[in-house]
Amino acid sequence: MKVLVANIEDVIREAAARWTLIAYFFLSSIFILIFASAINLDIVDGALAGAKLFGKEVDVRDAISIEKLVLGFESGFSAILYFLCTFLAIFATAHLVPRMQEKGTIDLYLSRPVGRVKLILSRYLAGMLLAGSNVFYLIGSIWLIVMWKTHVVHPRFLLAGAVILFIIAMLMAFAFLIGVITSSTAVSIMTTYGLFFFGVMLVGHERIEAAVSKEWQAAMIKTLYWIVPKTAELGGAVVAFVSAGQAPEKLAQQLTWSPFLTTAAFGVVCLILASWLFTRKEF
Amino acid sequence: MTPVIEVSGLKKTYRGALRTSRITALDGIDFTVGAGEMFGLLGPNGAGKTTTVKILLDLTRATGGQARLAGLPTGNPESRRSVGYLPEGHKIPGYLTARQTLSIFGRMSGMESKDIQRRGIELLEKLRIDKWIDVRVKKYSKGMTQRLGLAIAMLHSPSVLLLDEPTDGVDPVGRREIRDILQDEARKNGTAVLLNSHLLSEIELTCDRVAVLRSGKVVAFGRVEELTRRAETYKFAAAPIDDALVSAFRETGAVVERVNGHMVLSVDSVQHLNALVDTARARGVMLTELSPVRSTLEDVFVDLVRAPEGAPEAPPS
Repeated sequence: MKVLVANIEDVIREAAARWTLIAYFFLSSIFILIFASAINLDIVDGALAGAKLFGKEVDVRDAISIEKLVLGFESGFSAILYFLCTFLAIFATAHLVPRMQEKGTIDLYLSRPVGRVKLILSRYLAGMLLAGSNVFYLIGSIWLIVMWKTHVVHPRFLLAGAVILFIIAMLMAFAFLIGVITSSTAVSIMTTYGLFFFGVMLVGHERIEAAVSKEWQAAMIKTLYWIVPKTAELGGAVVAFVSAGQAPEKLAQQLTWSPFLTTAAFGVVCLILASWLFTRKEF
Repeated sequence: MTPVIEVSGLKKTYRGALRTSRITALDGIDFTVGAGEMFGLLGPNGAGKTTTVKILLDLTRATGGQARLAGLPTGNPESRRSVGYLPEGHKIPGYLTARQTLSIFGRMSGMESKDIQRRGIELLEKLRIDKWIDVRVKKYSKGMTQRLGLAIAMLHSPSVLLLDEPTDGVDPVGRREIRDILQDEARKNGTAVLLNSHLLSEIELTCDRVAVLRSGKVVAFGRVEELTRRAETYKFAAAPIDDALVSAFRETGAVVERVNGHMVLSVDSVQHLNALVDTARARGVMLTELSPVRSTLEDVFVDLVRAPEGAPEAPPS
């Protein structure tokens, strides 16, 4: 526990000192402020009678149920937050392993009576705490703003944070693995973002498989699809999760366990591999 | 003396990137360091000093032999509970203050907050950087960073201190203070100190025993005074020293050198020396000093390092 607390203190202090923490929360705050000031709703008897977006009137011909509006709004917004939170989290935490592995610094950490697996996992948890606090801040603030402006309480939106944290956890495991291997923050960030987009691209794996000329290529695409985190499906799952039964049929179909299980398996393997390599590494 | 550092037949071979080449960093070294002892590890660059320390801390793994700290194999993280380490060129995160640094590394050593606070302040006072306790490390001079590094190493009152160039960048007064602190730790608290330094004069002043490494082998080992004593060479101070006495000594086969009013005698044996003393006494010469002549550790070191490879591995005595 003391090791974990020490790592959390180290990670938070470093984030604060290097302006990462400030930039992280500053960007999130700007997003929240823009969101809060951009939307003005006129609600009459629980229905939307008029709306202004960025100061411009929005055509509301038929009075819409405010619950429906909030649901649709939060569903759409959760998709944006999925990308925003994930990208900010990777950017803010990718340095945790490379910085620790710097010559002259790693000796200070490894000369303590702490096993290497415990050390890297403590750092991982500290990174998750940093990312989690930002997800909580972003999602919580937007949820409060929506509640303040519409008086509609929709707790499922808060639970979207759990799915976002899940994908962050899995991608951070990958970033840690790359960090252990390369000791480079830049490479960790680039490859993790690359993996995210590769996952999005592979959502159309069936079409790609059909387009390639050789069987082994199709098999490879299919294998990759099952290995790589299902970033697109999980994004869809966030929206479907928030909108519950109101989600479009295609999105609702994505709300299955399969993308979660395969992505979790990927993350766990990355974390085990990162720990194992870190244990074997010579400094 | 209970051995707290035990190194036996330690070997380390580094492989090239393509595993085609091999570099032997350690070729079966042995030594032990006892509780309360100050031990110096010397050697030219690439001799294997840092590799030895890294194996002791499990930062790198031996390819043969054994290393134990406080009775535990170095692969066991618990062996490091009793170890304080100051690496050469350490990088304490610049964004932390001394207080925060001690808090983080103290907790990682399993210490309670109140103990970290008490011991931390005590050490910073001893090392004369207590006024800087709440200043970020990036504002520190090199010498101050070095003192803080030493405080981190000593924070949990370890029974073994592994110090790589501990006085690097420290002014002469500070060096003496650090030397005194380390000697205090060894004598009063029974801490075993393994010092890895190029400052031979400092090792000579501080260490009880030394091992000189060269190309991964121990080429000299022993107490500093044993290593620095020149074989059968003595300072002979007496009155009067005249040409007749010098001639009489030379007639016995002794090599005589007159230096600043005394003689430096190179003799064949202790019996030969005693015969010379008898000759002098018979001539009515009053003997005022007779002592073995010592080299500096630097002389010994340079001789060992310059000696051709494959020369006998023994102290130059």
